[in-house]
Amino acid sequence: MKLVDKLSLWFIGIVVLLTPITAYICYYNLERKIDEAEITRLKEMNDIAARRLAAGLWRDQQVDGASTVVSPLTTALPEERMKISKTDIDKGNSTGMLSLLSVNSYVSVGNANYRISSSNYIPSGKQIRNAIMDTVVWKLLLIILCVCVTARLVSQKILWSLRQTMKTIQHFNVKEKVEFPASRTREFKELNSFLQKMTDKAVDEYASVKEFSENASHELQTPLAILRNKLELLSETNIEEDQAELIGDMQNAIEKLSKINRSLVLLTKLENNEYAVSENIRFCKITKDILAAYEDRIEMKHLTVTTDIDKSIHLKIHPALADMLVNNLVGNAIRHNVQDGKIELTLTHKRFVIRNTGMPPEMPTEELFQRFKKSNQSSDSVGLGLAIVKQICEVCGFSISYNYKNQLHVIQIEFVPASPNEGAKISHDNVETAVLA
Amino acid sequence: MKVLVVEDSKEIASSVHDFLAREGYICELAYSFDEAQEKLLLYTYDCILLDIMLPDGNGLVLLKFIRAQKIHSGILIISAKDAMDDKILGLEGGADDYITKPFHLPELHARLRAVYRRKKLAGSNIIAFNEITLNTDTLEARVNEITLDITRKEFDLLLYLIVNKNRVLSRQSIATHLWGDYTDNLANFDFVYQHIKNLRKKISAANGADYIATVYGLGYKFNSSSV
Repeated sequence: MKLVDKLSLWFIGIVVLLTPITAYICYYNLERKIDEAEITRLKEMNDIAARRLAAGLWRDQQVDGASTVVSPLTTALPEERMKISKTDIDKGNSTGMLSLLSVNSYVSVGNANYRISSSNYIPSGKQIRNAIMDTVVWKLLLIILCVCVTARLVSQKILWSLRQTMKTIQHFNVKEKVEFPASRTREFKELNSFLQKMTDKAVDEYASVKEFSENASHELQTPLAILRNKLELLSETNIEEDQAELIGDMQNAIEKLSKINRSLVLLTKLENNEYAVSENIRFCKITKDILAAYEDRIEMKHLTVTTDIDKSIHLKIHPALADMLVNNLVGNAIRHNVQDGKIELTLTHKRFVIRNTGMPPEMPTEELFQRFKKSNQSSDSVGLGLAIVKQICEVCGFSISYNYKNQLHVIQIEFVPASPNEGAKISHDNVETAVLA
Repeated sequence: MKVLVVEDSKEIASSVHDFLAREGYICELAYSFDEAQEKLLLYTYDCILLDIMLPDGNGLVLLKFIRAQKIHSGILIISAKDAMDDKILGLEGGADDYITKPFHLPELHARLRAVYRRKKLAGSNIIAFNEITLNTDTLEARVNEITLDITRKEFDLLLYLIVNKNRVLSRQSIATHLWGDYTDNLANFDFVYQHIKNLRKKISAANGADYIATVYGLGYKFNSSSV
């Protein structure tokens, strides 16, 4: 629910809740004041009548619509010298609309007792209630309408700054700083300055971490080269078998280190979008070349490779990345395969799918895209291959998935956003199927 | 062969020097842009190893200078930056090949030899060693005039071994040579072993001597005197 709707609803709710209470107060006060005014007048008329009666000048009279009647009493004066009564009229056209208010005063003149009664018609309680109800309904309707309309109009203006802020933060990327719009509302000012500080900090931190990892990887290359070369020179001197073994282990460790370093540098570069491309390359050719390069290893493992590669597949991807992508996937499919296993490779204009036999994964397959995650933690591989594959896919706008079903590891890359339209027509003749081994 | 090594890291330069000196090459070192420029003006070299990142200048600028001076040496670029741009700029600027730090010395040597063959030996494509002859154009290997039925990888391996004969070649360096930097070399040792085994079988089938020896714990060695 939108903020402005929420506020409007609360406001309307409060108004609806308070209106009956105010209506009642209004009704009560109105009726009391009318009664009070009329009673005061009727009392005064009674007093005048009593004075006249005492002076022997009495005759029934009518003043301003109210009539005063004097009637002698046969009984003694009641304890209460004044009685007020109010009765609703229940006959004629004005049924329920008027009430008769009468004030009876009891006086004694000489030896005789009299009752002086003045009365007048006033609007009935019901009539007042109806008038108030009508007003209240109109008032409520108008308030709701106004609130709804103005809230929308005003919120456009007041919440504009908030909307701008949200838009800015949605497009925020740790790689570059953003400016938030100025606002005159205090809360928005605070929010913006807080967000400004936070995003600036994130950008700075990211930049320094990036710079550090870039420098670190780069600076590592030279010492690694020195270590590797010196060991190579050392291995050519007169050494014993046990020393050779030590050197061999060191060479392994350096190999691993240099591999990790190289992969991390590559990942950083991918994140920095250093592999921007503008032209299409022939992806099908790269795939075939790589398969050919791996032929020896496929043969050694006695793998059966089935390929289904469409012709003229042009993709927007840096050639080095295409090479690495297919290299990693095909390399993995061979390395993690079983002896006499099989590999199925399908490449169409829409997707690249590689299926291979192998040991079932020991962890959810999606996790294998994370850095340094390996299905077999003790294996000699570095565990960055799939992370690189994933990063390449992200850079090129492909989507990738990894599943294990029917005893096959299935890695599927969808080119959808990058597939060119002109190559969409595929005749069946273009599909070639080859069995490599 | 006379080689100029332009490399600011003294340790790397000295490793390269030691390695190449054992091959009987004359190897001179330059640790800076200025030093390299001076040496290039005074002497001629068959090959130049050129580091891109120098403390007082860029190797690519030096490359331009070499072209401007019409120095016809073979040029092999070394870079710590694995950047594609450097590679492309370097090769477009007239370099003959490119190698990334950290490199294997035998790999450097093999590439240097290849550059030298192309540039200085007028594209000579025959490499001969005793009864073995390799043709780098046709990828044909002959032993005692018998053509071996050899795969591309096995040819590459044999060439690598012969160029680096009497050297201990680590399995890592062989794997990098055969499959490049981006494959997971650590898992390739079985494949290296398989290739070596096949190669020995094929050479001995053609009555070639067994030159390839296993160096325990380290890798393999092509001995010029057969065992």
